[in-house]
Amino acid sequence: MRESTFNELADLAQRVTGQHFAPSKAYLMEARLSAISRRENFATLDDLVHCLKARPNPRFEQEVAAALTNKRTRFFREKDLLDQIVSHALPQRLKLSNSGRLRVWCAGAGTGQEAWSIAMRIHEDVGSPLAKADLEIIGTDVSANSVEAAKQGVYGHFDVQKGLSIHRLMTHFNRQESGDWAIADKFREMVHFRRHNLMHPAQDLGLFDVILCGNVLDSLTKTARQDVIENMARQLLPDAYLFVAPTESLESAAPVIKPSREMRGAYVKDTPGKKTAAA
Amino acid sequence: MMKQCLIVDDSRVVRTVAGRIISDLSFSVKEAAHGAEALEICRHSMPDAILLDWNMPVMNGLDFLRALRREENGRDAIVVFCTNENDSEHISEAIRAGANEYIMKPFDAEIVESKFAEVGLL
Repeated sequence: MRESTFNELADLAQRVTGQHFAPSKAYLMEARLSAISRRENFATLDDLVHCLKARPNPRFEQEVAAALTNKRTRFFREKDLLDQIVSHALPQRLKLSNSGRLRVWCAGAGTGQEAWSIAMRIHEDVGSPLAKADLEIIGTDVSANSVEAAKQGVYGHFDVQKGLSIHRLMTHFNRQESGDWAIADKFREMVHFRRHNLMHPAQDLGLFDVILCGNVLDSLTKTARQDVIENMARQLLPDAYLFVAPTESLESAAPVIKPSREMRGAYVKDTPGKKTAAA
Repeated sequence: MMKQCLIVDDSRVVRTVAGRIISDLSFSVKEAAHGAEALEICRHSMPDAILLDWNMPVMNGLDFLRALRREENGRDAIVVFCTNENDSEHISEAIRAGANEYIMKPFDAEIVESKFAEVGLL
């Protein structure tokens, strides 16, 4: 790949999804764009960039930028975080809810594994107060292809063997004739997926009791990181929780949130003048 | 002390590939080409983990597992099936016979690591 091609693609990624690509990550660009290149019959990424410049097409540009995002995910990737959300954060939020309605946003959900994992984990908590809650889990991703795959909830041989025990696979999935595994229908009413760019305001998604944004923020520029955190913070209900992966500290990332005093690993909206972090 | 894993598979290639992956997970590895050979090894020294193929000559994986679980300390070993038999019926049968986990071939290092972690071997 020419240096100018790398620069064009890095600029595109930064402009559309806020991602930062160091020159040492050029190989990642080639890997992530290989499917689009093949489909469009581009021999090289230089040809792809030439096409982007010669025949500007906002839709294709968005697709390329979305393809450059990290799709690497797996079921139950952050087990401790899921336990914290399902065993503590959501029951705590349920106590404060008059309607019994709870909403969870998986931001940057990729092909859906994390959102389905939360649903499975909730289902397994026999006797939990959450059994009576009206729960909605929304997974969003900037990639239309990822959102479509997430909605289908059908996963291949390799995907279902990473992070899922055989017990969970047999309990929560149905094997298809193709050899793929489909998430059981019992979860499909609770979990929905939508295309959304975290760089954009998210008021259309509504307000949430818990937002989980795992392994997304580290790939963003500092400015994009702040914008994304602010966009998510605006969608938190009063005293609701934002969770990020344990490796992603949000200290000094954005002044709009602060660590929760009551909920380990969670952040809450920083409301000036308010002394307690959560009710 | 290193944990021990016995790899039971009639394919030398699979034993070699799996052996490298499992050695990288800090296990010492022994090999057997069929269930009867594996049972002899287990009677002499019970491993912590057994990676077990289904279809093998002399004694298949399922018969080995049933025999193992009848041994005096045969419930101590964690058994992870690793087989081409990828349908629900085979998986259910393996679990009923006492398998702790199940790997569907083909596999890679990440799958073995994930499955070993699921059963507390890592």
